[in-house]
Amino acid sequence: MTERRSVTEELTKMAASKVKQDMPPPGGYGPFDYKRNLPKRGLSGYSMFGIGIGFLLFGYWRMFKWNRERRRLQMEELEARIALLPLLQAESDRRTLRMLRENLEEEANIMKDIPDWKVGENVFHTDRWVSPLNDELFNLRPKEELLHKKYGFQWYV
Amino acid sequence: MTIFTLIINPLMYIIPILLAMAFLTLVERKILGYMQLRKGPNIVGPYGLLQPIADGVKLFIKEPVKPSTSSPTLFLLTPILALTLALMLWVPLPMPFALTDLNLTILFILAVSSLSVYSILGSGWASNSKYALIGALRAVAQTISYEVTLGLIVLSLILFTGAFTLNMFNSAQETIWLILPAWPMAAMWFISTLAETNRAPFDLTEGESELVSGFNVEYAGGPFALFFLAEYTNILLMNALSAILFLGPSFNTVNINLNWAIKTTILAIMFLWVRASYPRFRYDQLMHLVWKNFLPLTLAMIAWHISLPISMAGSPPQL
Amino acid sequence: MTGGANIPTLDELNVQEVNVSSAVLKAAAHHLGSQCDKANKEFMLCRWEEKDPRKCLKEGKKVNECTLQFFRQLKMHCAEPFTEYWTCLDYSGSAELRHCRKQQRAFDNCVLEKLGWERPDLGDLSKVTKVQTDRPMPENVYHSRPRPEPNPVIEGDLKPSKYGSRMFFWT
Repeated sequence: MTERRSVTEELTKMAASKVKQDMPPPGGYGPFDYKRNLPKRGLSGYSMFGIGIGFLLFGYWRMFKWNRERRRLQMEELEARIALLPLLQAESDRRTLRMLRENLEEEANIMKDIPDWKVGENVFHTDRWVSPLNDELFNLRPKEELLHKKYGFQWYV
Repeated sequence: MTIFTLIINPLMYIIPILLAMAFLTLVERKILGYMQLRKGPNIVGPYGLLQPIADGVKLFIKEPVKPSTSSPTLFLLTPILALTLALMLWVPLPMPFALTDLNLTILFILAVSSLSVYSILGSGWASNSKYALIGALRAVAQTISYEVTLGLIVLSLILFTGAFTLNMFNSAQETIWLILPAWPMAAMWFISTLAETNRAPFDLTEGESELVSGFNVEYAGGPFALFFLAEYTNILLMNALSAILFLGPSFNTVNINLNWAIKTTILAIMFLWVRASYPRFRYDQLMHLVWKNFLPLTLAMIAWHISLPISMAGSPPQL
Repeated sequence: MTGGANIPTLDELNVQEVNVSSAVLKAAAHHLGSQCDKANKEFMLCRWEEKDPRKCLKEGKKVNECTLQFFRQLKMHCAEPFTEYWTCLDYSGSAELRHCRKQQRAFDNCVLEKLGWERPDLGDLSKVTKVQTDRPMPENVYHSRPRPEPNPVIEGDLKPSKYGSRMFFWT
């Protein structure tokens, strides 16, 4: 009995008193810092840009200086070839003529049974010098020599 | 004689490349792991060193699943093509002497690397699946778009060095690395190589987390392994090429290989770092980056690189 | 090919050749160019004017003799620094001269001291030169046919065409 009374008493008391609701503090909350906050560190954009341009200028200067030097070095290499060209040309001329002569002798030997065969008859209607083809020079020789001549001194593809 | 030329020589060429590439995958997983505060593979072998080999063995003993509706010949041929092209690209690299001393090395590399587009396109089409086909189309569009800038950047570098051979790049960079007078090109080159090799953040074709893995969905086992090998070989090759183009690896001619290998490794680690750090691009952003930013910039830079050496009397020697 | 009678016999072609390797030649090239200048230029002029190797054999032999003499002198006086120089070139990959400046300096000094030869300056060997020669200037090396007579001068009155040019749509 007593218990029951106390419960009803409570209920009436609660209905009477105000409900305590969770509310912001009087005067509202303090200002809240919602702004994006990135710490400012390192160089500024302008100075990084400036440094980049500086690198470019330094790089151009250095590169162009070296390019000029490389042009000089290339001239030196080419002059070495110029100096050697007469010797190499004379050698190659003699080598060609020697091979032609050997071919002629071989031809005479091979065709000696054919009655009216003219050895070394000119296939061109001219007296002027016509540089012989590799296949013509190496025709009577083993194939390896032709291949060596064609590809033996090739450096790059 | 024939056993040497036909078997031993090709193996001496292929095995080191594949080994390097295998350990690149391990380095990638380890570094990604440590960047994400975990360990990465560490069970197979000491420090997980045997992991790539275990992976390879696993992939090759798996059943090579082949979709019944696919085009069988092309389906098997394209992975082979991909790996063959990736291995061929290493032929003209000077280490310090190239296997074939090509006169137009850079054009060869550009040409062969653009051929790999056909392996992607062929595999996507031969799979007879919408996902694979669309993934292949996206990958191809991306690759050929970034090839444009790669070619133009290389062209503007050639205006400084004077020849298409990589040897000439070595001797041209003896006093200064090209990354200094051409750092904007270097930045664009690096990003373009990322896109060209379909790496993060441009890995739209195989974004595992939201797409169904692009052109190679239907591949499994051995054929997939071939694609995988080709991809990582290409990544390593691109880094080696960037090292030659921009970082002048012949400062002292004694240790050129070591020097070059270190620079290549640093660039490869940059690739991994980028993968660990950046979110994936959207497809339209990817296309805008190349066509609306890189292309006009590189075109302007070519005009600049033509006119500047001429006006400063600093053009390179030409034969 | 050319008729058998025109090819010189093997005896005529027999010359003592310069049997040295390319590194040796390259190492000696600049000094060779300045020492054998006369023979070289004579041969090249002949070769250029005649366009025919058969007609320049004599000059070619002179070139060989001069080169041989040059190498004999080198061997006599500066064999050691020269050997060092060309060995360096031989071992320096693509045989670029810039990789062997030290040995080159030693070689140059020796040559200057013993033989009084000076290395030609950059650009000297590629200069255009006039060559004094006794060989007569060949006539018509290409055996070209005589030129046709020029067209006779038109006697009549030349006027511009009445309806303008046919090549263009204006005038």
